[in-house]
Amino acid sequence: MEFEERKLHTVIASEQYLVRLGVKTLLNVIGIESDLHEVGTFDELEYFLQKDENMDYLILSEDILQKQRKPDCLEYVKNSFGLNTTILIGKQQFSNCVCDHFISNSCSRKEVVDKLQQFFYAPKANEQQEEDSHTLSDREKDVLKAVALGFSNKEIADQLFISINTVITHRKNITSKLGIKTISGLTVYALMHHIIKAEEAM
Amino acid sequence: MVSFTKNSKMAEIILKNYQLLPIISRFGIKLGFGNKTVEEVCANKNVNAAFFLEILNSYHNSNYFPDNHLGDFNVDVMVDYLTNTHTYYLKSKVPHIQLFIDKMEREAQEENSRNINLLKHFFNEYKIDIENHFKEEEKHIFPYVIDLEKTLNTNNCSRELIDKIKHEPIEVYERNHDSLEIKLADLKNLIIRFLPPLSCEDDCEHLLTELFQLEYDIEEHTRMEEKVLIPKVKMLEQKVLEYYGV
Repeated sequence: MEFEERKLHTVIASEQYLVRLGVKTLLNVIGIESDLHEVGTFDELEYFLQKDENMDYLILSEDILQKQRKPDCLEYVKNSFGLNTTILIGKQQFSNCVCDHFISNSCSRKEVVDKLQQFFYAPKANEQQEEDSHTLSDREKDVLKAVALGFSNKEIADQLFISINTVITHRKNITSKLGIKTISGLTVYALMHHIIKAEEAM
Repeated sequence: MVSFTKNSKMAEIILKNYQLLPIISRFGIKLGFGNKTVEEVCANKNVNAAFFLEILNSYHNSNYFPDNHLGDFNVDVMVDYLTNTHTYYLKSKVPHIQLFIDKMEREAQEENSRNINLLKHFFNEYKIDIENHFKEEEKHIFPYVIDLEKTLNTNNCSRELIDKIKHEPIEVYERNHDSLEIKLADLKNLIIRFLPPLSCEDDCEHLLTELFQLEYDIEEHTRMEEKVLIPKVKMLEQKVLEYYGV
């Protein structure tokens, strides 16, 4: 018997026609073969997802969510329709966002393409993959902590029993993951995320 | 990109690029220019038109390189302008940003208020950095530049000045001229990526807009120092050395 691959279905939800068009164009660019469905309002999205349960991917622009309670809205969509793969497009990622994927409005073309590619080709969230480009590894957190506390590369190397080169590599990765270059900026990040305590930071 | 000339209409320049507004106000030029040209407006306000144009053009077009107009104005107008710009940052921009941060801190919920407090300290540190940077320029660099010009005008050159040109020329400053934008970029990143969402979105948006503008302005300011002031000073150093046959 011939095995027939089921066609993928993707919903593109945004109030703005230009956003939907842009997403469609980029999907075409990265060669996603999927049936595309567009919705322009939140109600329409809800109706659509209720009617058709076979959606695989949801690309959702935050403009479609009800103002004031965007994170709740999003959670509702995700939980009610069992969508594992949703990517959000918006200004700023919500804290504890239910979506694993996010595209910021300020992303460049390349970043958007990269993120969409990750979204479609990365292993599914339920397959337990913790490779979020923004989260630091435990080792990186150790290094960040030491940097924020004001230790030099040499001191950090001694403390963590690694070479100075390794420290430098970790620092490079931290900076590229967080987009923060200065030591005082990194200290603020570490404090915000409780990697160090205020008393420790002088 | 087309450059503005002394015959360009002032109003058209601003309509083309509104980001030039803070620049013209630094020269004391006010709106309501009717159909006056750059030359006319400058004559009214006693502003050196050649220099004014250099500033407008390099601010307007980041690839603009002011090669053949460097001789058209004295460094003292330039130093005046740069000093005014420092004052504008410290007296107008920085307090403005601090106001927004304070407001956000007040309006945020407890947990986030702590985060904003961290950003506030970070920005205060930044403020001290730029204050020191500006102070150094105003205390050491600008007087040196003015001295060079004075020497050429009065034919009266001190031994110290010659020594300074030889051992501590403007090139030294050029090499150590550190970037003031890195910390601003970090601050933007912290807000955009890591600050949990706020209920006062508008304030946050204003704050970011202010930060983007300040960053752009400071970049331009640095470029001005590096592309207009420094080449001009190098030229003066050369002239002094030649004149005194050292």
